[in-house]
Amino acid sequence: MKDHYEKISTVGILLLPLLFVLRGGYLQEVTGYVYLFLIQGYVAWFLFFKSGQPFFGYSVTMAIGAYGTIVLNVMFGWPVLGAMFISAAFAPVVGVILYLATIRAKGFYVSMTSFLLAILFPRLINALQDITGGRSGLYFSGITEFVGYKTLYIIVIVWTVVVAIIFLWLMGTKTGKILTLISENDRLTQAVGINTFRYKLLAYTIAGFISGLGGALYVNYTGFISSIDIEVFTTLYIFFIPLIGGSSLFFGPILGALFVILIPELLVPVERYFRIFFGLIFILVIVLLPEGLAPNVQKLFRRIRKNKE
Amino acid sequence: MSEQVLKVTDLTTCYGSISAIKSISFYALDREIVGIVGPNGAGKTTLLESIAGSVQPLEGIIEFLGHRIEHWSVLKRRQLGLMLIPQEANIFPMMSVKKNLEVSVILSDRDKREELISYAYELFPILYERRKQIASTLSGGQQRMLAVGIGIASNARVMLIDEPSIGLAPKLVTKFFETLKKIRDDTKKTIVLSEQNIKVLNIADRLFGLEAGEIRFDERKENLSRDAVKDLYLGSIS
Amino acid sequence: MGGILSLPVLGVAVIYGITGIPNFAIGVIGVFGGFVTWYFLSYSMGLAIAIGVGVCFIIGWIVQRVLLTPISEMGGDATLFFIITIAVGFVFEGMLRAIFPRPNISLELPRIGTISFAGYSVEGFKIIALLFAIGTLIIIRLMEEHTEVGKSWQATSQNLKLAKLIGIKTTQVFSIASGIGCALACIGAIFWGSLYNLQLSSGWDLGFLGFIVAVVGGIGNIWGGLISALIMGMVMSFSGYLLGGEWQSVILYCIVILVLIIAPKGILGSERSL
Repeated sequence: MKDHYEKISTVGILLLPLLFVLRGGYLQEVTGYVYLFLIQGYVAWFLFFKSGQPFFGYSVTMAIGAYGTIVLNVMFGWPVLGAMFISAAFAPVVGVILYLATIRAKGFYVSMTSFLLAILFPRLINALQDITGGRSGLYFSGITEFVGYKTLYIIVIVWTVVVAIIFLWLMGTKTGKILTLISENDRLTQAVGINTFRYKLLAYTIAGFISGLGGALYVNYTGFISSIDIEVFTTLYIFFIPLIGGSSLFFGPILGALFVILIPELLVPVERYFRIFFGLIFILVIVLLPEGLAPNVQKLFRRIRKNKE
Repeated sequence: MSEQVLKVTDLTTCYGSISAIKSISFYALDREIVGIVGPNGAGKTTLLESIAGSVQPLEGIIEFLGHRIEHWSVLKRRQLGLMLIPQEANIFPMMSVKKNLEVSVILSDRDKREELISYAYELFPILYERRKQIASTLSGGQQRMLAVGIGIASNARVMLIDEPSIGLAPKLVTKFFETLKKIRDDTKKTIVLSEQNIKVLNIADRLFGLEAGEIRFDERKENLSRDAVKDLYLGSIS
Repeated sequence: MGGILSLPVLGVAVIYGITGIPNFAIGVIGVFGGFVTWYFLSYSMGLAIAIGVGVCFIIGWIVQRVLLTPISEMGGDATLFFIITIAVGFVFEGMLRAIFPRPNISLELPRIGTISFAGYSVEGFKIIALLFAIGTLIIIRLMEEHTEVGKSWQATSQNLKLAKLIGIKTTQVFSIASGIGCALACIGAIFWGSLYNLQLSSGWDLGFLGFIVAVVGGIGNIWGGLISALIMGMVMSFSGYLLGGEWQSVILYCIVILVLIIAPKGILGSERSL
């Protein structure tokens, strides 16, 4: 029952920014941006923390979705929606190939190779600058030709909520429970006769697709993408979203996304010191609060409530 | 009656919520060989590792040469003269035999080092023959000898040895135990060893029975009935 | 190229070989030292280099002692160290931004000129960097054979638990190893800064390049790292020459990913694996 309450409140809070549509402006723009990263944060939450797959290629899957959409739409003249979904369908290929290639190796090789891929990809984009625009990037009008900016904003918010619900639902099913089991003890899961290979493959496919679609949505929303947007640090920011928020609570990624995107916005006046803060906060969170911020904030609230009574 | 060099009172050690040993009290006298016997999973290794400091006990007192050491680091306990030879991974695999011994004398006085190493060679001549060989290429029995050699080179007052006979051929076990006895007689050290092998009865002065983390008996060898030991391994029928 | 790369590679190999911790921050720390050197360069060259390298050694020591050793004692795995050391890198990159006013420096050290060899001319500095790396390696090897300190390093790297039990101060060994690794990275950064230029983000390139080259050579395998540094340096030069500068690092990373997938222990193998 309590679990149910948390889910409903999560969805409720996630839908709140729809109110910004009335006012528009800067707040709306930033919130959309936060939500686009929140989608990626949920993917990381699902793949890394819930399924235990040490994948660091989120910026790559996102970039494939984004660049794929532009290339298919602008160069091959495909309809925008078709381009978005087809390129999103290509995104999981990266994760799946990496997984298949490193299947016999230990977890750290997956993180290592996927991370190197995340370093490699923006450089590949730079090298292919005749097509991709490299550092100077590509402009893209895409879906905004058909729907207004506000509608797109609503689409982003609603889609984020749908992603959240999909993952929530997924973790409740048998598949989700097996994935949790795999993340806790891979070998034991295999030993009791579960085909872990199939489930991991499924996890990579779902995560890759949603990340790719998120990337496609990203490029529609921002109207621009360059190799700088998908630098390796993007993957780290995405990874830090569920890490900071707390890996065990679904509520967490929201807090994490606000943190990762909004703190830099607030710190603009002291931008020079930003990286120091960022690094120190991560170290502190990992060392002192290995469960992330969210569970601790909840505990704090509970204590305050108790004191009042 | 000689003094108690090592004394453990009400020691409890847990892994997570499972307690591996429950309020164990245990002591070792000077120049004594104590055998800790018991079946697999009785908590022998945990007891030794708690004494050496590799695992942190939950509660209890460990006294060594009159000092309370339960909160000390491994290094500090070692400096006072306590040394554990673990059951597995008890050699430096990619070093030569000679270097294995040379690095183990690190805490001894400079002028005694040569002597310690040659004493180890004297006990185990095969180690001298193979002193240039890389340790991981030795046979299982030879590696076990090297591990004890490392213990000798470290010149500790009390040597804790975890299951030294495991994986050794029966003929070797007898010989190996005789060597341990010789070490005690030569160096006047205290040796505490955990054992599953019943032959330990031949060398130990005192036996300490452990089962499921609790003490079953603590007797001098002369007073110990064979049945008590048999019960420990087979489980009492009642 | 390979000659300069060999220094951070050696740093990574020393740290990983002894502590078993993959440290991705050493490139950034090394570049930090490079900036410190640049700051003091107007006083005296020798003094400036000594200060830079010394600062790096101390930083490496402190980071290891305060952060990494306690985490490894609590049982951190490679992925955790990967995240933590990247966060450490963030901190030092941030400090570079905060302390030094210029984002891009070039260290003006006296050049030695080029050395011609079999029709190729090579920058003298690259040769010196390589000789320096080989020299350091030989010194480490000699120490491992003949000194107590070296032996206890070797013992720590081979069996940490036993090393503790026989009374080696492993915490201290870890700190020294980390300090030396960072100092080597700093020397690498100084050479790099005098041949090309040092930017705020160079540290990441240096660190990651160092790490992946070490991976190709078999991580923890010091000689393998050196050979791989030379090979990868040549690969970078040739791919840059044939396909253009943009493709250089693409090819490099592709090779590394392939090596990781096909031969996870590196081309020469390693005593340790990740």
